[in-house]
Amino acid sequence: MSANVAKRPLWKSQRFRLNLYRWLVTLFLVGGAVVILSPVWWMVSTSLKSMQEIYRYPPTVIPEVFHWDNYIKAWLSAPFTRYLLNTVFLTVIGVATNITSNSFIAYGFSKIRFPGREVMFAVVLGTMMIPGFVTLVPQYVLFAKLRWIDTYLPLLVPGLFGNAFFIFLIRQFFLTIPNELVEAAKIDGANHLYIWSRLMLPLIKPALITVGIMAFNGKWNDFLGPLLYINSEQKYTLQIGLTIFRGTVQTQWNYLMAASVIALVPVILIFFIFQRYFIEGINVQSGMTG
Amino acid sequence: MNFFKGMKLRQREALQGYMFVFPWIVGFIVFTAGPLLFSLYAAFTNYDITSRMDFIGLANFQRLFARDKLFSTAVYNTVYYVVLSVPLRTVCGVLLAVLLNQSAHFRRFFRTVYYMPSVLSGVAVYLLWMQLLSPSSGLINMLLEMVGIQGPAWLFDPRWTKPALILMNLWGVGGTMLLYLANLQSVPRQLYEAAEIDGAGVVQRFFKITVPMITPVIFFNVVTGFISAFQIFQEAYVMSTDKGGPLNSLLFYNLYLWKQAFEQFNMGYASAMAWLLFAAVMVITLLNLRLSKKWVYYEGGE
Amino acid sequence: MNRLRKSVSLLVVLLTLSALLLSAAVSAQEKVEIELWTFWGSETRRPIIERIVEEFNNSQDRIVVKHVYSPWGDIWTKTLAAVAAGDPPQVVVNDINNVALRAWKKQAMDLTPFIDDVEEFSSQFFPELWKTVVWEDGVYGVPFNTDTRFFMWNKDHFAEVGLDPEKPPTTWAELEEYALKLDKIQGNRIERLGFYPLFGNFGRDTWMIVGDNGVSWLDDEGNPRINTPHKVETLEWLIKWRERIGGRNVDAFQAEFGSQAADPFISGKLSMMVNIANHYTQIRDYGQHLNVGYAPVPEREPGSGSWSWGGGFVLEIPYGAKHAEEAFEFIKWACGPEAQRYWAVMNFDNVANIEGSYLAAEDERLSPEGQEVYRLSVENLHWTIMTPVPHNLAGYMDLVNPQLDAAFLGVKSPQEALDQAQRDVEEFIRNAEQ
Repeated sequence: MSANVAKRPLWKSQRFRLNLYRWLVTLFLVGGAVVILSPVWWMVSTSLKSMQEIYRYPPTVIPEVFHWDNYIKAWLSAPFTRYLLNTVFLTVIGVATNITSNSFIAYGFSKIRFPGREVMFAVVLGTMMIPGFVTLVPQYVLFAKLRWIDTYLPLLVPGLFGNAFFIFLIRQFFLTIPNELVEAAKIDGANHLYIWSRLMLPLIKPALITVGIMAFNGKWNDFLGPLLYINSEQKYTLQIGLTIFRGTVQTQWNYLMAASVIALVPVILIFFIFQRYFIEGINVQSGMTG
Repeated sequence: MNFFKGMKLRQREALQGYMFVFPWIVGFIVFTAGPLLFSLYAAFTNYDITSRMDFIGLANFQRLFARDKLFSTAVYNTVYYVVLSVPLRTVCGVLLAVLLNQSAHFRRFFRTVYYMPSVLSGVAVYLLWMQLLSPSSGLINMLLEMVGIQGPAWLFDPRWTKPALILMNLWGVGGTMLLYLANLQSVPRQLYEAAEIDGAGVVQRFFKITVPMITPVIFFNVVTGFISAFQIFQEAYVMSTDKGGPLNSLLFYNLYLWKQAFEQFNMGYASAMAWLLFAAVMVITLLNLRLSKKWVYYEGGE
Repeated sequence: MNRLRKSVSLLVVLLTLSALLLSAAVSAQEKVEIELWTFWGSETRRPIIERIVEEFNNSQDRIVVKHVYSPWGDIWTKTLAAVAAGDPPQVVVNDINNVALRAWKKQAMDLTPFIDDVEEFSSQFFPELWKTVVWEDGVYGVPFNTDTRFFMWNKDHFAEVGLDPEKPPTTWAELEEYALKLDKIQGNRIERLGFYPLFGNFGRDTWMIVGDNGVSWLDDEGNPRINTPHKVETLEWLIKWRERIGGRNVDAFQAEFGSQAADPFISGKLSMMVNIANHYTQIRDYGQHLNVGYAPVPEREPGSGSWSWGGGFVLEIPYGAKHAEEAFEFIKWACGPEAQRYWAVMNFDNVANIEGSYLAAEDERLSPEGQEVYRLSVENLHWTIMTPVPHNLAGYMDLVNPQLDAAFLGVKSPQEALDQAQRDVEEFIRNAEQ
């Protein structure tokens, strides 16, 4: 076997081919990344321009003068630090409740048989199919009756009771796990609460992280919720704050983009940090490096 | 004896099942059911949010089908968008995920890059795309020009407005990619190794192992993709001229519904539209569920 | 010592008594807090409205106004939900063109009970603006600000091609003649465009008003006047421009303008345009090197009128709001001459109050050029048409716009397109009356 390998020319060796393949994929990804990133580049470059330069036609690709102070000025043109803290507060609670409640509920919909399950699940899906515009007013009236207007309760409490999209998503992941695992645990005398928390959750870690990332985005970018239910400006969030740059007559493009970039950084960071758990998933299962 | 034991076990199972879905039931009854039923009733009234709510039977539905020309335009635009966008997004999402699951250099960096567009949301991004799609100085047509294609006028040419939006939404396909990527991690390596020993090529491995193993998530994306594509709204709201133009080519179902509800305050009429959409999407979803038994592979059996 | 103690205790008693009395007086006259919702949150606008609010709060001790910013467009969705829930804010800034609809739908409150003499009160405001807030026998808002559009030209470009830089075109014929001279088109590339009617801030609808002697899509009685000969002619005229310059080139330019970022006029790529008065501030701030003239909109033919169009906002009390009387006190203040003058000068906005407008045009906080342009904008209000939508015709433009698109894209002739629009709107009215 080893003699065979030695006789082969370099370009036929397994290792060389693997390496070549790697570089080809990488090259392809670079090409795609350029296309994907060009709009982002436009955003960043606009955030660094002066308004005079933004008004120029045709637009410049690279700012002539880099106005880094746009970032500071944008940040100071409203209480953005306050908005940031509010957003972080809502997002952290939102992510925690979403992961817990939805994985709990989804387990019921996928691993336990009980009468009415299919109908109930159809209702879960059904709630996603009604355009939110027609329930917006009655929902608001409901929260007004509860005296929850101008509090964070309408933004936080419903999350405790699950979200159709995430229930469906986690259910799909639970269904990929062999039922024999559950059955074996039951024979060992475990109840479902135990199986869910000790056996299942670790197994669907990539899915939970995905849900966490998606919930983070959803809460971080939520606009309609805070818009409708919050009336005090000190309780506003980043997404509401960003709108001050969009004037009726004139838009402060550079500030808008600068503040948008700042608002984007945490989302990107979260993804960059947590995606490594995907790679770990591979390590656990096959012992191979990714 | 055995029979009773079985009953008891099943009852205990059911009880635990209800316990797990109990939070959802509570949330549904307290927060969701009321507004939903209200809007269902509103569909049969002339409800205008602030001054009246009289029962008018099926009049809203009659008007939709018999007298409203814009309704059929909106249906056509939406179906056009759904039919092209959902399959395209699914295929591109799978391919991208598989690509980013290959061994490549700087993989973490690339995953982040490809994922980034999906988190860029909101009005600012749509305004940005309006500039990218600008016929002469926009980035898209500049890129096309480099390969010798004269790009269309995109948002100004009614034939190209919907493709422009489909293209833009394809840019954000990283969100669905994320789900596939998560799912791909649970595909055992051994399967690939065994297939390789059997002499299966890259393409065969893709269709025989990768795709079947991620069908649960493909199914999820198809179902939710249909649901959200039918409700496309904000892109058209921001990027069209006169909220739906040119030539009503971007007047999507939900945009028309919004105009009825919040510009003219015909909320009863809008509710009728909403429940009609619900019925259509429900039928498609149930069909999907039925069909899924043929192509979705659950390790956990179902 | 004893005496001292006595006087101290007397003092304490007196102080306590007076404090008690004072607090009783204050609680007897509990201040009323009212909320004002606006979409003026930008760095330029917010301090101005907040200053007006602050001055009102300081001017009396009964009412405290709290300003709350809410994003443009969404602010009205939010207000609507609050009205439905029965607990709306006290004052909201709303669109001037749909007051009748909101009155009809019981979203806005009739203000007549708070106005002693409607005729006298209304005489403070430009009549065209006051017209928009009256529905049936009620008054459902007070006009706050407005805008108007006029002609702007680059004087250096004029001089360069041998035109008199001080003499703008006054008719459409002259406009075409000048534009041809100013154009710099090489093959397929536009280096400079003399004029294109729809670049700037003047839409198809507004050219129709200029073309049809000041008559909009609907006449004063709400009858559709869509396929009139003058309007057909105007549409043909607009399309002729598009054909001459080339649809593709027009779209390219329009894309830059439509997304508001780059500005061909400020970049020196466009020599003439019609834009809102407020655009002066952008030319002033971002186009310092430009030498710009301002004049009324060129008329279709001598004597047909330099018509223009304006939008704007009103202050409204949402239906069901508490403390409506106090809310109206604030509205009176904000729409009064001093607040209006302040708003006008600081924003370079046209305001509804006549006295405030003329005070602003003389205000020394504006540069001499600023005063001159502002005066022109106030005078231009006499040519400026408002187009409030009758209460039962909301959404009729959804039927007209696609027909205009069809004509512009060459799918239909202007005559066919406007005939169809006329029929569609007539049918819409019949359906609305049922």
